[in-house]
Amino acid sequence: MSSSAKAGAPRRRTWFTELLRRPAGVAAACWILLLLVSAIVSSFWTPLDPFDTDPYSAWKTPSLQHLFGTDGIGRDVFSYVFAATRTTVIVAILAGLLASAVGIGLSALGSLTARWIRESTAVLIDILIAFPTILIAMLLASILGGSLGVVIAAVGIGFGVNIARVSRSEIRRVSRTDYVLAARASGVGPGGVLVRHLLPNVAPTFVVQLSLAMASSILAEAGLSYLGYGASASTASWGRLLNDLQVYIAIHPGSVLWPGLAITLTVLAFNLLGDALREASDPRLRSSGPSDASAVRTSPPAATVSGELRVTDDVSTRGEPS
Amino acid sequence: MARFVLSRLVLLLLGLLVASALIFFTLRLLSGDVAQVIAGTQGTPAQIAAIRQNLGLDRPLIVQYGSWLGGIAHGDLGTSLVTGSSVTSQLTQKLTVTLPLAGLSLVIGLVLGIPLGVLSALKRRSFSGTAISVVAQAFAAVPAVWGGMILIAVFAVAIRIFPTQGYPSDGWAEPGQALKSLLLPALTIGVIEGAVILRFTRSATLGAVSEDYVRTAAAKGMTRTRAVITHGLPNVMLSVVSVLGVQLAALLVGAVLVEQLFALPGVGRMLVSDVGVRDLTKVQGELLALTGLVLVLGFLVDSIHRAVDPRLREPGE
Amino acid sequence: MRPARILAAASVALVTALVAAGCSSSGTTTTQTGKPDTSATVNVGLVLEPTDLDIRTTAGIALDQVLIDNVYQGLVGRTSTNKIVDVLAKSHTISSDALTYTFTLNSGVRFDDGAALKASDVVWSLEQVKKNASTYQNAADLASVSSITAPDAKTITITLSKPDSNLLWALSGRAGLVLEQAATNDLKTTANGTGPYTLASWKQGDNIRLSRFSDYWGVKAKVKGIVFKYYTSPSAAINAVISGDVDVQTAVDGTLTSQLTGVSGISLKSGKTTDKYTLAFNNAKAPFTDIRVRKAIREAIDNKAIIKALGGAGVTQGGPIPALDPGYRDLSSVDSYDPTDAKKLLKAAGKTNLTLHLTYANFYPASIGDLLTSQLKKVGITLVVKQTDFTTWINNVLVGKNYDLSIVDHAESHDFGNWANPAYYFNYDNKKVQTLYAESLAATDPKVVDQKLAEAAKLVAEDAPADWLYTATTLTAVHDDITGFPTSSTSARLDLAKLAKS
Repeated sequence: MSSSAKAGAPRRRTWFTELLRRPAGVAAACWILLLLVSAIVSSFWTPLDPFDTDPYSAWKTPSLQHLFGTDGIGRDVFSYVFAATRTTVIVAILAGLLASAVGIGLSALGSLTARWIRESTAVLIDILIAFPTILIAMLLASILGGSLGVVIAAVGIGFGVNIARVSRSEIRRVSRTDYVLAARASGVGPGGVLVRHLLPNVAPTFVVQLSLAMASSILAEAGLSYLGYGASASTASWGRLLNDLQVYIAIHPGSVLWPGLAITLTVLAFNLLGDALREASDPRLRSSGPSDASAVRTSPPAATVSGELRVTDDVSTRGEPS
Repeated sequence: MARFVLSRLVLLLLGLLVASALIFFTLRLLSGDVAQVIAGTQGTPAQIAAIRQNLGLDRPLIVQYGSWLGGIAHGDLGTSLVTGSSVTSQLTQKLTVTLPLAGLSLVIGLVLGIPLGVLSALKRRSFSGTAISVVAQAFAAVPAVWGGMILIAVFAVAIRIFPTQGYPSDGWAEPGQALKSLLLPALTIGVIEGAVILRFTRSATLGAVSEDYVRTAAAKGMTRTRAVITHGLPNVMLSVVSVLGVQLAALLVGAVLVEQLFALPGVGRMLVSDVGVRDLTKVQGELLALTGLVLVLGFLVDSIHRAVDPRLREPGE
Repeated sequence: MRPARILAAASVALVTALVAAGCSSSGTTTTQTGKPDTSATVNVGLVLEPTDLDIRTTAGIALDQVLIDNVYQGLVGRTSTNKIVDVLAKSHTISSDALTYTFTLNSGVRFDDGAALKASDVVWSLEQVKKNASTYQNAADLASVSSITAPDAKTITITLSKPDSNLLWALSGRAGLVLEQAATNDLKTTANGTGPYTLASWKQGDNIRLSRFSDYWGVKAKVKGIVFKYYTSPSAAINAVISGDVDVQTAVDGTLTSQLTGVSGISLKSGKTTDKYTLAFNNAKAPFTDIRVRKAIREAIDNKAIIKALGGAGVTQGGPIPALDPGYRDLSSVDSYDPTDAKKLLKAAGKTNLTLHLTYANFYPASIGDLLTSQLKKVGITLVVKQTDFTTWINNVLVGKNYDLSIVDHAESHDFGNWANPAYYFNYDNKKVQTLYAESLAATDPKVVDQKLAEAAKLVAEDAPADWLYTATTLTAVHDDITGFPTSSTSARLDLAKLAKS
């Protein structure tokens, strides 16, 4: 680790070593690292031009020249899948950032403000949570046309609300602690309290949610690009490739393997990383052995069939009106 | 209890109102023009203006919103701008595909998820328990569209038992055919949702294992498994029920994608095509119906959960 | 031009092979031995569903396909290869100055509601079209008509202000349909015509049902009913015909025909269309104002490779007029594929590093855009592709004319006039072409019409205001017990009067 990590609180180092103790977490982190490297490399170099078509060499079976074969218009599938990592990484990062911003904004609004704003924000969050991400995306796509921006916005808003709900109670809990009350009494404003005390404390929850939001954004991008509301033609995207290939499923069933596998592994990696981070960051989970702890407290991953929100807060807190 | 239901009911109605306003006004920001679509590529400005007036699109927005809300109160979602047919009757017709699809998916999800979830929790130290958990984790990451494609590939190419796409024109008048057409799509959503339910059940069961009452029962000579099943399971089920509301929502929305892939004439597919032709009244009706369903299901599940789960009762009850 | 559909294509060799396989595998086809089953219902798979059924005001070739000929009829009609035939008219004559058209009506014609056809219905129908020029589809087609009269109960006389060689064609389409003056039915959801079938039901998003009209004035339909089922997904469509959900599937995707290999009892038939997949240039906008750029783009495009990628069924055309229309000549040698020359032209024009935007509707395959991007890249043009929904395309391209390049299936027949209309979205303004087109309309001799149009088409092709990527060949998969199903122009019109199932 760099010197900055050493300079940080000791808590953070254990946090990281805890993560390293979990093989699933390590594997997930490795896959995501590989994805990041691919995204950077593919910006400069791909084995073949992923957009170069040659109808006369369509549907080539995998070979050394075409590792994953070619598609119906003769594009090299490996190069395309490789190039699409960039899109995936960009979508995941931007959707994650937007979700964080929405989540922090809403949960701050729902916990630090005057009572009536707090209460109405709580109601608003409860209502917004019923708006499925994919419907938000369709609403936006019908106004703005399909684009990755629409996917990012929809996941950002949809998952941001989810983050807000999970972290609001956390923020409220922390904001009632003695040191926050003391800080307030000594004249620190709500913004100062948020930045200095609340955010660092809810950070672990946030990081977990962020990981799940990224998993969700990848599924949402695939689903929306499949429906034609996502990536445009000049952007390599796994979802779009699935869409391009699905027509030929009965004739060339092998071809959809690669983009589908790429999506599944990446979503899996973000879900596993989320789980591992949750365990690593929660002292209650850390005390017992990793396998048992994960078993007791692990909630299901945050992304569903449709890139939809899955319940991510703890089972035991559901149903408690807060 | 009554106070709880009442406050949830208020929240539900408020939710529906906010949802309707959000949907209505967001849709009106559309850059396209439905009158232009009806007039077609050779439409003249005069023609378009006439259509717009005919359909009442020239009224102030708030008036249009008001008349839409008024209609909804009577169960009338308006008439399609493009076809002139009733949105409510079309929705009802499409729901006969989407609801059974979601229901069947849920059944598949529950049948797979609950027993396997309990099993993987009880056998968590053995290979089988771990294997189930790992497989569930992997399945939960599968994009529905891809899962569906794999099923189509297997059943369309290798084994020709099920129709891979489409739906009988007479719908439930041919119950066997209709059910057959829904099976693969339902399996697609069901297996993925099952993986999620499995993981929930597993964590809830593991929670129950460590509870005092199970330990006590085990100490009194019951086997651990029996103790969990007789004493822990009711609580596990309650925990699972508590998340069903949100899972039902996920199922309904998953249907949008799967209907498209399997060419099923359901609400999701209609929505996708109506967004394409900018049939505003239909799109807003469909979006409201779907979010409304999610809200209502959430309300029902919460209320039922509250009613049957003793842990959630208020002290006074 | 209309909302068009997903294109269809396949290799002719393959088609022939399949047809042969279909016949040989089933031994003697049932069509030879079987007797028509008059109580049969035939399921027909189509692609694009109409948005509503109003034949008067609703755009969309999908409506013509289902309702014209089968439910609605005009004085004249057209065959699947675009020949004009008498329908409600028993015969027609044209005066030597080509200004007076006289039609004699058939007798015994009834509408679906039982009312007998009167000459006044014909006059009213055509006058309505002229009167409602702003709302009725194709109303402009009757612009040359000055009066419509019924001198007696069996005769209709149409007088023109100037000769119009396109008039009969116009009357065979939407503008010429005959409806009942006294009827009050809602055209959006019902239909009251004189054709061999009546509209039985429409289940939106799924199917339209027609049933035999028992009081039909001509030879009655041989089947009890037809169910048109809509399959927007090409794979669903082909699966439907294989599984027997439909007896006939129109517009089979050429890239999927190998799925029919080894399936007995189904033949694949290929037919011509007027579906001109056109890559239009915005001729009023730089750099398209420079003919060298336009020609370079045409030469950079390998039309044959595109046809290959789409499964092979499509033909190169090289010019604006398809083989089924008057004025057709094979112009595919004009600016044919030559990337080296394209580069030279671009260099001469000083446009070696060009970025262009291509906008087209999202119901066309993404692969066309992908192919063009990669082909143009080889001559140094960067193509940025955007697929939008049809409404956005209409607003931005067709109405707004705010585009560089656009792809549309100009599916309509006899639509050369678009190239003679400087206000059309092509922004193509060539006085010579306009004069020739006007002369073709004014000509009374079909041979002269053909000559003038051919001359104009050649001028257009050499001017390179667009690239005619290909003209689709339509593939129809037909179960062997079905006869009388047309195989050409099936997306535009589908006259099923002779349809039979044994």
